[in-house]
Amino acid sequence: MSAMVLERELDRLEGLWAEGLAELYRSYLEEVDGHDPELQPKLALAAALVDVGVRLQGLGGSAAPPAALLMGDLCLARSSRILTDSASQPIQIAFARAVEELSGAAASHTEAPAVRGLLVRALAAH
Amino acid sequence: MIAQRLRFDSTHPTQFIDLTDRIRAEVRRSGLTTGRVHLQSLHTTLGLAVNENEPLLLRDFQGLLERLAPGDGSYEHDDFTRRIDIATDEPVNGHAHCRQLLLTGFATLLVEHGELVLGRWQSVFAVELDGPRQRQLAMQLDGDFHAPVAHGRGDLVELELTRQLMIDPEPVAAPMRRLMEAGGKRLRPRLVQLTAQLGPQYEPLRTAGLAAAVEILHNATLVHDDYVDESTHRRGRPTVAAAEGPERAIAVGDYYFAKATRLIAETGNADVTQTIAAALEAICESQIDDVALRGAFPGDHDSYLRVVRGKTAALFAAACASGAQLSKASPEVVEALWRYGDLLGVAFQMVDDMVDFSPSSGKPVGLDIRQRVLSLPLIYAAEDREVGPEVRRLLAGSMGDDEVARVAELVASSPALRRVGDEARKLVEEAVRELEKVELNGLRPTLIGLARAAVDRDS
Repeated sequence: MSAMVLERELDRLEGLWAEGLAELYRSYLEEVDGHDPELQPKLALAAALVDVGVRLQGLGGSAAPPAALLMGDLCLARSSRILTDSASQPIQIAFARAVEELSGAAASHTEAPAVRGLLVRALAAH
Repeated sequence: MIAQRLRFDSTHPTQFIDLTDRIRAEVRRSGLTTGRVHLQSLHTTLGLAVNENEPLLLRDFQGLLERLAPGDGSYEHDDFTRRIDIATDEPVNGHAHCRQLLLTGFATLLVEHGELVLGRWQSVFAVELDGPRQRQLAMQLDGDFHAPVAHGRGDLVELELTRQLMIDPEPVAAPMRRLMEAGGKRLRPRLVQLTAQLGPQYEPLRTAGLAAAVEILHNATLVHDDYVDESTHRRGRPTVAAAEGPERAIAVGDYYFAKATRLIAETGNADVTQTIAAALEAICESQIDDVALRGAFPGDHDSYLRVVRGKTAALFAAACASGAQLSKASPEVVEALWRYGDLLGVAFQMVDDMVDFSPSSGKPVGLDIRQRVLSLPLIYAAEDREVGPEVRRLLAGSMGDDEVARVAELVASSPALRRVGDEARKLVEEAVRELEKVELNGLRPTLIGLARAAVDRDS
């Protein structure tokens, strides 16, 4: 993903990039080797956005204050839009299922699987 | 059936206003082929008449009314010392009420072959008896339209919603079920269902799936909104955040946000998924703007429009466009419907803002004021020369019950609500014009009726 495209996808989320999103993005880049090189950065960013989004919301823990919740919502929505623009249908569905699993567990007060594990599995969906 | 309002201004104390051409135009635009146009005056000093539009004859009628109920006559109705609960601006108009009794407040006109059935010399008049005033007539068109309006397809969506909530874990499904069962207008799924009939590949079951997903998505956003706005009630019931705590509300919102996007992805239509995903992103961005703008409450018209386009109109537009995309309608149709949905969504939100000031809405008056939510009536009232300074002063301070009630009173006494209503209706007419640019397989009357009904409501 070119710097310009990345910049566009981070519109309104620039602050998060410096506060850990960049690091998460790089860590997910290591998980997308098997995909088309052009697609890899987009998938990594989509995964990083979900990861940071649910943390911002406090999903499964104490509820985030409204401003953080809305920022978390935007991360999830941005991730979803990036996936619809570029990822295959199985990956889109797998990402959605990962969030369903996390939030279902949070609502049921049961232990949720690790976010990263779910997203790495979603990235491998085909 | 199409229900709408005919609005007009009178300019004289007594005036015969010929509405024939306007009613003819509405009949043509509606697609009504055989049926009836029902008119009802919504005022006690406005009558209806079908007669000849000949200026001297109209003067004769005016003379007759004057002789039967003279303007300078004595009327007990005008003796304010004997009446109770009269408004401060109560007019002296006993003569006008008596004249109205001589006319009718209702009329039914027949339609055949798509045209009003009127004799050569017949015209339809609204008869102003106490002008000048702003007036409106209720108008309903019923009968056979160019294309049959789909019935029963809403049931498919309800079934699909029930089915989807039945298979979810109870901790998320129960609160969502309570929210959905409490009501909601189901406008967005209705738009999906209608527009999905416009392309060559209309499949009712697949359409119901998309329509249900759009409704689920809408409700998921409401669950988070209610937490952000600290709302305690929605649709007359406690919000998820109020009933079950913010942690549960966040989880329920996330679950259904994800589930809706999955259901939409499962349609396998890339255009549809992209349209809805873009709308969802716009909603989230505008929610952030909405909260940020509460610091500059009540805000201005441009900021309001920007927020409302995202917060409300984005999903209306996406619902319209995605239905058409699902059935593989042409890009021209998809674009026209997107614009229709966008305009309708903005108008819908404006009317929602007005409802906040309506005692008959079933909601506590002034909720938006309390929650410092962007609201166009408030923006206009704050700009008003008469009430603006007091509105701005009150909004700048802390808002207790008395202050909220006073602001609501000031808004209601100013021209703000009328301005917002006019603006919303103008947007709906713009939306209707978008529909005229493309072929809609006979669904135009239904889409027109739906748009007008969305702004002619008080709840």
